[in-house]
Amino acid sequence: MRPFIQFESVSKAFGSLTVVNALDLAIKKGEFVSLLGPSGSGKTTILMMLAGFERPTQGAIYLDGKRIDHLPPYRRQMGVVFQNYALFPHMTVAENVAFPLQMQRVPRAEITRRVERALDMVKLEQLKDRRPSQLSGGQQQRIALTRALVFEPSVILMDEPLGALDKQLREHMQLEIRELHKRLGLTIVFVTHDQSEALTMSDRIAVFNAGRIEQIDNPQVIYDTPRTRFVAEFIGETNLIEAKIASIDNRIARLSLGAGLSAHAHAADGLSAGQTASFSLRPERIRLGMAPEGSNALDMTITDCIYHGDHMRVQLTRDDFSLVARCERLAGNWTVGAPVVASFDPSDCTVLAQ
Amino acid sequence: MKAAILRERSGALLLVSPVIIFLAVFFLWPLWTMVTAAFVDDAVSKVLPRTAASIVSWNGQGVPSEAAHKALVQDLKAASDEQALGEAVRRLNSAASGFRTLLGRTIPAVKAAPDPAQVDLLAVDPRWNDTRFWVALKEAMPPYTDRNILAAVDMKRDASGGIVAEAADASAHRLIMLRTLLVAAMVTIACAVIGLPYAMLTASVTGWKRSALLLAVVLPLWTSLLVRTAAWFILLQNEGLINRALQAIGLIDSPLPLIFNRLGVVIAMTHVLLPFMVLPIYSVILGIPRNLMSAAQSMGAGPVRAFWRVLLPLSLPGLLSGSLLVFMVAIGYYITPALLGGANDQMISSVIAFYATGTANWGLAGALGLILLVVTTVLYAIYGRFSTPQQVPGA
Amino acid sequence: MFRALQTTFGIAVVIFLLMPIFAILPLAFTSSVFLNYPIPAYSMRWMHELTTAEVWRTSIVNSLIIGGGATVLATVLGTLASLGMRKGALPMVGLLRTVFLLPMVVPAVVLGVGMQIFLVRIGLASTYLGVIVAHAVLCIPFVIVSVSAALQGIDPSIERAASSLGARPVTVFRRVTLPLALPGVVSGAIFAFATSLDEVVLTLFVAGPNQRTLARQMFSSIRENINPTVAAAALLLIVGTLCLGGLGALLRWRQGRKTAAAVA
Ligand SMILES: Nc1ncnc2c1ncn2[C@@H]1O[C@H](COP(=O)(O)OP(=O)(O)O)[C@@H](O)[C@H]1O
Ligand SMILES: [Mg+2]
Repeated sequence: MRPFIQFESVSKAFGSLTVVNALDLAIKKGEFVSLLGPSGSGKTTILMMLAGFERPTQGAIYLDGKRIDHLPPYRRQMGVVFQNYALFPHMTVAENVAFPLQMQRVPRAEITRRVERALDMVKLEQLKDRRPSQLSGGQQQRIALTRALVFEPSVILMDEPLGALDKQLREHMQLEIRELHKRLGLTIVFVTHDQSEALTMSDRIAVFNAGRIEQIDNPQVIYDTPRTRFVAEFIGETNLIEAKIASIDNRIARLSLGAGLSAHAHAADGLSAGQTASFSLRPERIRLGMAPEGSNALDMTITDCIYHGDHMRVQLTRDDFSLVARCERLAGNWTVGAPVVASFDPSDCTVLAQ
Repeated sequence: MKAAILRERSGALLLVSPVIIFLAVFFLWPLWTMVTAAFVDDAVSKVLPRTAASIVSWNGQGVPSEAAHKALVQDLKAASDEQALGEAVRRLNSAASGFRTLLGRTIPAVKAAPDPAQVDLLAVDPRWNDTRFWVALKEAMPPYTDRNILAAVDMKRDASGGIVAEAADASAHRLIMLRTLLVAAMVTIACAVIGLPYAMLTASVTGWKRSALLLAVVLPLWTSLLVRTAAWFILLQNEGLINRALQAIGLIDSPLPLIFNRLGVVIAMTHVLLPFMVLPIYSVILGIPRNLMSAAQSMGAGPVRAFWRVLLPLSLPGLLSGSLLVFMVAIGYYITPALLGGANDQMISSVIAFYATGTANWGLAGALGLILLVVTTVLYAIYGRFSTPQQVPGA
Repeated sequence: MFRALQTTFGIAVVIFLLMPIFAILPLAFTSSVFLNYPIPAYSMRWMHELTTAEVWRTSIVNSLIIGGGATVLATVLGTLASLGMRKGALPMVGLLRTVFLLPMVVPAVVLGVGMQIFLVRIGLASTYLGVIVAHAVLCIPFVIVSVSAALQGIDPSIERAASSLGARPVTVFRRVTLPLALPGVVSGAIFAFATSLDEVVLTLFVAGPNQRTLARQMFSSIRENINPTVAAAALLLIVGTLCLGGLGALLRWRQGRKTAAAVA
């Protein structure tokens, strides 16, 4: 049996420019999947192929077991929320929300009822006779979402829906969408270039780079065990250090880091001893001043310390080897120039192919 | 994939084709008709095909052979289209005066004769002995001619076929073309001299002042051209407001001649075309970052230097496209010179209109029209290259 | 000093630009038979003349018939063309646009000569249809410019949204594209009507005595025997075009608001 949504080696080229390259992607019913990647990595194109506005150059797309890539958008029953909302400027809020129901020839009385209920759900009923131009950005966003939901589509597609909102409103809307997803059991494909948005909202994240999936996993796996350099760098902040693999034993690699330091780290697939690799270590995984049993311990010097309000960034150096650590506060006797032991667990860092 | 693109393309073509067809039929075809009118000269050969065939071999000396006489008689006998015959007569008469009366006698005689083979042209009218008429007939036979286009630039072919200048007093087309360019240049300069500072002034003020200055430019644009021309008529005439005012304040004793001369034409055309100068310059100046002048001044340039070195060079593209636009429109102008100009202020359009509607000389009207069309098109092409894409004036 | 010079210059040019328009209007109400100042007394004499004299009355009616016909023809053709050129599905759209704008550039007299010969040949000389067609040629560019601008202002994702919400292409056009483009179509039609109303040169060439338009009548009146009826006609034209212009501005303003909202 096929997954609910399936891309089967889908490629898309505009002229000679290949934007999506042999994509395989499966999404389960009721799942919230984010497509995350830098601008230009092909996310919108993938979404537009799913919605029916672009046709794949190669491959097939299935929805609920049926092939859909030849269907026009109006036969796909997908609710799309566009980046700029795309509300109909010449219709009132109520008319906007009623539009998809009218397209389905729902009886008039039922349309009124359902529009009211939908607007009630997003608490915007009092605005139903306004024009979109008379609404704030957040309100427009919510109307666009309501319009996409009201006809009970099988899938909701969102293309950077929160990109135009300010930070506070964006975080609020993230929660609201997440909450709707849970309550209504929606299947959502969510495009974003904001990694923290993807991490907080998704069941799974597909990280894109230049038209290919670099990694697809749940947020925690993506964050803790990135499989490629690109993912490690793109998601969160990391110390990425070139290191030589001295030996590998049971997926634990022994690395020489330079400046006479060495450490144990979790190794990705396909690495072997003697290779030069990238060592990725998140700043917040570094502990200062203690070295529990079994952890890596490095003797370093504090060379800089930057105050960030809720945390500090500490620059640690030994000869030409340096690390950034993040910690809540610094013990009193650690000042710039003081020696310190930096420690981290082998399971908290990864060795990746170059 | 291919099919989708093809479908979209054919849909678009379906939408565009009515206009393409409409403009091809009612715009390009008429223009083409005008151009061909200048070069096609088949009025005679169409009506007298046999004569045309037999007269080609004639060497132009004396009188052509008997066969040519017979052919002419046969053609005249066979000619049934009165209108076409009339055209042919007019064409021949314009080449050799007296042809109208000659044919006026010959045609009825030929038509009346029971057997055309028996008709002797010389007996009908002795003037058929005159080489002049036969030469005119022979020269009218080729279906294409460069006569009109040569006449348009005051040239003609002499008896041996060489191109020579027309006698100085016979035609004045070159003079009129020069005058057209001169008037257009005067109007363009006047518009530039007024329009450039006005556009800069408009861009430098804000709020209601800018709105008022812009409104003063746009309001005339929205006013009927006829209304504006009539208004200038009222202002400029001898008893008009301007002369009255000048007399009232004692500046002059008798009215200044402001109308039916060059001055009146230039004033009124400047008024009509000034918006076409101001708007492009204004939009270019608006595109210049506001702080550039201040930056120049902060670097030690005085306001005058800053103007010369910064603002003026940057607004030149606007001035250039405005000037091209004004000049291009001005050389084709008809209404204002026709109503406010004297006999010596008529521009090329008036002459074309005169030939077309006054004397029905389509050939010459077409040739002059072609020259105007070519010049305008070239200017438009230059304008298109030089000016940044912007709103169509008036739209 | 420089300031004063600037102000004087600005005021002088504004007077130059506006004086003619304001000078002619009061003469519509003169009682004199001469079209000049001073006005001896105010009267409705020439307004009356304008609306009752046979030549003037028929010329007004003709202007409305021909203007209406040319507007309808140009608006339909121009709107279709703008829709066709919109999505960039056609090759050489740039060239096409240039050709479509040419009637605005070609000198009216040149087009008039060609049009006159041509219409005689196809038997449309001195007919209403002939004049309407000739005017429509001049009006089409204005419609295309105006409608294309309106279409360009429509965010494509609005139409995509409609389509994703279940609207078939025809429905998208009827419910979304057309309503959003309508102000552009209307202002294109206004431009077209104003252009036809003011057109003299082509009319001189292609119209017979029965199709004399108001502008044409004013032209010969100024040329042959100018009298205050011309001022009365001018007043009528100015009021007419100002109403049309006001309507157009209103529509553009509303459209501007809408598209601003669509972009926001
Ligand atoms: N219609 C198109 N024609 C040509 N190139 C396109 C088109 N749409 C997108 N592209 C190109 O495809 C690439 C991916 O675009 P997109 O899917 O919008 O990326 P993202 O949404 O991840 O920023 C970009 O380089 C873009 O320029
Ligand atoms: Mg995108």
